This record gives sequence, structure tokens and C-alpha cells, in this order.
Amino acid sequence: MNKLLHKRRDFIERSLLSALAFIKDATLSEECANRKGFLQSLDPRVKTISLLVFLVTAVTLKSTGLIVALYALCLFLAFFSRISLIHFLTRTLLFIPLFSLFIVLPTLFSIVTPGEPVWSFHLLGINGIITRPGLDGALLFVVRIATSVSLVVLLSLTTRHSDLLQVLRIFGVPQLFVLTVSMCYRYLYLFATMVENIFTSVKSRVGVVSHHRYGQKVVAWNIANTWNRTTHISEEVYLAMLSRGYTGEPRRLSAFHATPKEWFWLLCAVIICAGLLYKGDTL
Amino acid sequence: MYEVKDVHFSWPGKFPALCGVDMTIRSGEKIAVIGANGTGKSTLLHLLDGLIFPHQGSVTAFGERLLEHSLFDEQAAHRFRRRVGLVFQNADIQLFCPSVREDIAFGPLQFGVAEEEVNRRIREVANVLDIQHLLDRVPHQLSIGEKKRVAIASVLAIDPDVYLFDEPTAGLDPLTVRHIIDFMVNANRQGKTIITATHDLHIIGEIADTVYVFGRNKKIVRGGSAESVLNDRSLLESNNLIHIHRHHHDGKEHVHQHLPLEQHD
Repeated sequence: MNKLLHKRRDFIERSLLSALAFIKDATLSEECANRKGFLQSLDPRVKTISLLVFLVTAVTLKSTGLIVALYALCLFLAFFSRISLIHFLTRTLLFIPLFSLFIVLPTLFSIVTPGEPVWSFHLLGINGIITRPGLDGALLFVVRIATSVSLVVLLSLTTRHSDLLQVLRIFGVPQLFVLTVSMCYRYLYLFATMVENIFTSVKSRVGVVSHHRYGQKVVAWNIANTWNRTTHISEEVYLAMLSRGYTGEPRRLSAFHATPKEWFWLLCAVIICAGLLYKGDTL
Repeated sequence: MYEVKDVHFSWPGKFPALCGVDMTIRSGEKIAVIGANGTGKSTLLHLLDGLIFPHQGSVTAFGERLLEHSLFDEQAAHRFRRRVGLVFQNADIQLFCPSVREDIAFGPLQFGVAEEEVNRRIREVANVLDIQHLLDRVPHQLSIGEKKRVAIASVLAIDPDVYLFDEPTAGLDPLTVRHIIDFMVNANRQGKTIITATHDLHIIGEIADTVYVFGRNKKIVRGGSAESVLNDRSLLESNNLIHIHRHHHDGKEHVHQHLPLEQHD
């Protein structure tokens, strides 16, 4: 009983700390992006465009088999980019395609999608009939989602976040916006660490918070304190920018330099996609 | 180079930070501004860097009065900021870019320096501060000492005439402190003006020829040669700059004042 109460009391703290740990480990980790693999070696602009071409193809194709082929290519790229396939599959297959399966579940049945019955069952006085068109449509939807998600995850895993933001420039996003977002990203880690330290210091002084009301107060105080500190830091960062010559129009290094290897890869990607689309049309 | 006359300043909603400061700084000098916490040292550096402006009195830099509206003009702002570089106390404030390389490049790029030259400067300052291996890292992955060296590199890339250091050695390990002091001394030998706000009296002998002591009244209570100021025990004691040090010699407890320039028995 005591254990249960204790669990309830530090629920907010545990949730917050878990969220912070997720932000720090999953979002800000660039471990995969720093490995020496195939996709990591490509210019971020070329890589983004090529994966975007694959993504558009996956969305356009109407043949499950061809999308599965594209998915196989995606796994192949992940392997040659030194990404653990178990890590990659867990990240891409466990949640999003699973949720999409729940979304398309009603379309499996004859009530929504009439057609040739494949399997029928009787449950709690209800007759359920799964139809061939329903099954095909659901399969196509799930495979398409899985492939699209995998391509996006592959891009985010193999590209440093700052490079990914810089790529936005090729789509005409203003430099000021890119700089602001990358600064937010950079300070997210600092603030996450700051909040963690506050909780550790509270714990070191008072141990485990003994009452949920006090716990709420600690969290509320923590939010207010973090807000004050972020405001103060943002003012100081602006002064630091002014000090180094910022006058309202930021200028940054154009960090990308595409080589013939990158253009060859892009050409290959376009040829593969054109081939798949052509094959999809003739089926 | 700098003429500070009867400067008063208050941060919005707070107590006064400076209450009538006068000082003159000549080109190529090594100046230290010392004082206990909250005596206005950092505020003075912000004023000298043209980030804030006095409510009363004046700051003249390079023969021109430093006024807020005069720095609205991009060319005038760049003319001034190319010549003055501030290394902030908190390196996290100064390293706002997503990578070390971009942080070092930020200053020169704002001044319109060509990318080829910026890349050359990045390599050069990385060599000087021994941070070549950090160039592609993200700032939040660095240790405090590494961050401080990168913060200095980001100012060094601008190659200013005046370096303003705000507590440059606070919280750093001895080796990093040594590197930073060496950097400051070398920069001064090359003709750069070095102005440092600190309360670390141990480094003053090396980084300053002239020392200004800030008192609780937010004014300069004494200015003079480093030696004369550091040997004035009563001045340092009354301004919270020395303390009683208790340690062991040959198994016996030993108590004395902690002074930077003095040997004890």
C-alpha cells in the first residue's frame, strides 16, 4: 500500500524526468549521425532530396509488392549506414504502423469494404467477414506508412540536427527562422539539464517529497524558476550576439559541398523511383 | 582608448549597479577590475562593449562617445564591434550556434568576412587554442573548460584590439586556467588591450599591470599598480577579497590570511 502511495506521489517528478531523459537521449543524441556510414557520408541536401524522392514514390505507388521492395531498399540503406537493424525496426515498426493498423481495422470488414470474403468469424453474436479488397487496402496502407516512417527516421538518424535544419534553407525557409530553431534546439539540452539538477537538489535536501501537494508546489516553483531563467538567458544570448556583430540579419556558413558521388547517388535514386513508378503503372 | 567619466547605471527593477565610475584605459594596457560579487564588474564590461549605456556620465571609446543610437547604424556598430570582443562569464551564453565551427565563424561572418577567410581563421584559432578536435562537436557536449576555450576562440576569430574577459578562470581546472592566462599574456604582447573582471587574486600578477578595486558602494575605491593594490591588506580585507586560510604544516594547524603575492612561514 505504502509503495503504491509513494508511486502516486512522485508521479509528476518521474514523468518529468522521463520526458527530459527522452529529450536528451532520443532527440538530441547524434550518435548514429556521427557514425561513418553510407548515408552519413552524403551531403545533407542531396540525402534529403533523394529520401524525399523515395518518400513521394512510396506515397504514389499503388502496389504493395513494389512498396515492400522500397522498404527493403530502406533497410539495406540502414544496414550500410551502420544502424543496428533491431534498433531501426523497433523505432519504425513498433508504434506508428501499429497505430495505422488500428485506424484501418474497420476497412477490413465487409460492412465498410464489400467484396470477396476471405475469412469470417462469429464473436459476441456479431458476424464478421474480412474481404479481399479490405485486406489488400489495409495492407497497402500499413506498408506505405511503415515505409514512409522508415525513410523519415532514416533521414533523422543519419543527419545531424543542425544540418537537417540548414537543409530547410533549400526550401526557401528564411535564415533567421533556421537560426532561431537551431538555437532553441541547442538550449533545450541546457534547460533539460537545469530542470534535472533542480530535482536532484530538491531530493538531496528533502529526500523524496512526502506529500503530493508539496510535490505540486515543487513542480510549479520549478516551472516558474525555469521560465525566469530562460528569459534571463535569452536576453544574455541576444547581448552575446550583438557583441559579435549581429545586426538583425544573421549570416551563416554555407556548410554543404556536394561532390560527383552525391550527384551520382541522386541520379540512382531518381532512376530507381522512375523504374518503380513505371512498373507500378504497367501492373 | 577608453575614457569612462562619472558613469552611473542601474539594471531595470534592481539596485544601482554602478554609482560614479571614472577610469582611463590606454591602448595595449593590461587592466584588472577586482571586487566582491555584485560590485558592478560585469556591468562595467557590458558598458565597455557597448551592450548597455550609462544613465549618467559617459563612455568614450576610440575617441568617440559610445551612444546607443550611434550603434543602430550597421556600419558604425561593425566598426566598433570589430575592435572590441567580450568573453562572457557563462560560456553557454556565448555558444549559441549548433556547432563549435559555426560559433567561431559567427562573428567574422556578421562582419562580412569572406567564407574562405573565415575558414582560414577557424583553422588558425583552433590551432592556437588547441580545439581542432572540437570543431564539429555540439556545444552542449563540451566540458566547462572546453566551452571556455571555444568562447575565447569565437572572440579571437574577430581579432579585436580590446579583449574584455568576465571571470575567465571561474570554475576551471588548473591546466585550463594556465592555458587561458598564457593566451591573455600572449595577446597583450601582440599589442592587444586586455581588460579582465575577476576576483581570483592569484592570476592578477600575470594578467594585469593596473588594478581597479570596486567596493560595495559600486565605485572604484582604489586604482593603481597590481603590486601596490595586492600588497594593501586592509584594502583587500575591507572589500572581501582576502580571507583567513586554515591548513596544516608538519602536523600543526596553521592560520593566516590568504594573499596572492606573499609567501608565508
